[in-house]
Amino acid sequence: MITIGWLSAILFGLMVIIGGMNGVRSFLSLFLNFLMLFFTIILITGGFPPVVVTLINGIIILAITIFLGDDNTQVTETAFYASLIVLIILVLLIIPVEHLAAVQGFGAEDSEEIEAFSLLVGANFMQIAISTAIFSTLGAIAEGAIAISAGLNEIVEQTPTIDLKKLYAAGISIGKHIIGTTFNTLFFGFFGGFLALFILLVQTHATFADIINDKIFVAELIMILFSIIGVILAVPITAWVLIQKLKQRK
Amino acid sequence: MKQLFYKNLILILTIVIGGLFVLGVKFDQALYSDTIVKITQVTDDKTEKVTDEFENKDTQTKQKISGIVMNGKYQGQKIVLPNTYSSSRANDQKYQKNDQVFVTVNPHKSGLTGTIDGFKRDVVVAVLIWVAVSMLVGFMQISGMIAVLSIALNMVIFFLAIKFEIFVNITNFFWIFAGIALVFAVLTLSLVIGLNRQMLVTLLATLTGTSLSVIISVIVLRLTNDQGMHYEALSYATQAPKELFLAATLLGSLGAVMDESTDIVATLFQLKEEQPMISPKELFKSGREVGQSIMGPLINVLFLIFIADIFPLAVLYFRTTNTIGYTFSWTMALGVVQTLISGIGIVIAIPVASFFASRLIKGGDAS
Repeated sequence: MITIGWLSAILFGLMVIIGGMNGVRSFLSLFLNFLMLFFTIILITGGFPPVVVTLINGIIILAITIFLGDDNTQVTETAFYASLIVLIILVLLIIPVEHLAAVQGFGAEDSEEIEAFSLLVGANFMQIAISTAIFSTLGAIAEGAIAISAGLNEIVEQTPTIDLKKLYAAGISIGKHIIGTTFNTLFFGFFGGFLALFILLVQTHATFADIINDKIFVAELIMILFSIIGVILAVPITAWVLIQKLKQRK
Repeated sequence: MKQLFYKNLILILTIVIGGLFVLGVKFDQALYSDTIVKITQVTDDKTEKVTDEFENKDTQTKQKISGIVMNGKYQGQKIVLPNTYSSSRANDQKYQKNDQVFVTVNPHKSGLTGTIDGFKRDVVVAVLIWVAVSMLVGFMQISGMIAVLSIALNMVIFFLAIKFEIFVNITNFFWIFAGIALVFAVLTLSLVIGLNRQMLVTLLATLTGTSLSVIISVIVLRLTNDQGMHYEALSYATQAPKELFLAATLLGSLGAVMDESTDIVATLFQLKEEQPMISPKELFKSGREVGQSIMGPLINVLFLIFIADIFPLAVLYFRTTNTIGYTFSWTMALGVVQTLISGIGIVIAIPVASFFASRLIKGGDAS
């Protein structure tokens, strides 16, 4: 615990030195998201339906990340509405794909870690897998929506009379850049999160055919693909939400 | 109409080729050396109620499954497969008609029986990759293709690096992955930015930020004697878990630090182009502002990636009456530390990238 305490203190200190109030807010959002995640696991363990709990807490996590991520209410409001729409579309994609891929629970590689446990614990692991996938995409959705919203907001402030069609095109053009870099964050996060699994798979002489059908590998890979699809969707949807808001104001 | 067609030619080609690829994967059974069975009939037997020592209630149901062998020397023959599933399905599967599974065949005089080894998941993966790549290309055309290419190349390098690492089998394997991180950074940044001064500045910022965060973390881990760190809880670890954990953290944070450095350096190069007389001090200040607004969301992205997949394990710990503290330190602590180290890297990269960019930009080569 002491190690975690020191690392947290260093992160907090650096965030305040470099970001000032922005830093305090960033650290607070990370901490609150951690609490939300913990709370979600406890609710699921307690027998509440995992997908419903995840949707409600997921919306709260989006709100925490977005409203503490930027202090311009114009930016955050647009980003929040957009991220909700993206979340709904993604959930509609995640539920059938998780069922078709059948990646719930634990795989053969987990056997050592779970051998001491009774596995018949009466929890719905398919729903838990869906929750896991939804959670893993939230950060990417929020980041994409904030970035587009902030970029477009700057354009609107500089040229308030801008043609709405041009604004949409500007959103797509900002989006191209953001998708490109976020792609790296997601894929390297994936490499890093599962380095041990990859080594294990290569070590056990798993063939390409084994890997591409492996329960744990597929579970991870499709989570990253969901996140990528989420970021891409965030681009036009955020631009669209902003344009609807501007239309209403006129 | 014709113009529209040519404009979207890359996208149309991607969708068509991708679609053919998915179809190919759907009928790829002949390519597998493992036996694949398509399930044709399933009947559920009786369901038994079970209660474990912690009063968790579950059920177990036996299934009688028959199917047709799709490939290999028994192709076309009927096979009978027994199966048991629980209602929680932590480590088992409820099979349905038309599912395809990998099996080990036991030939008998009376016919084939077998045991199910796994589910065929390649089609779902192919469909999802197809959707994601088509969307990428649809939005970003050529740059979308480049992004896909860069990830494909990185994956190949990653695979070869792991092969190499297992082959040489040295104790200080952290340095192998540090070397790979360097290769990844050079390759990715030159593909995304191009070979120019901007790329060099971004690379310098990325490497400095990542190294500093790892160095700080190693010092903290040593000074606190790894208190509360259960490296052996690292899932799937087959080698020295602490070293593996550090290598994983280095790779995991690399993309985010690159992401941020790219944004800061690109903004400052653009600023210099628009206002050639801007001073290094002002540039540094602008870089810091750009960084401040990205860091929070970026750290949250990594946090959710690192921590989300502990869900099933954490539920299992809690359901078997482990305490909150115990469950935290054995399931979540490593993900949290990984997030904190990456976070330190992401924050340090802000002044580092702003500094390098503000000092190394020359007027006129901001292209």
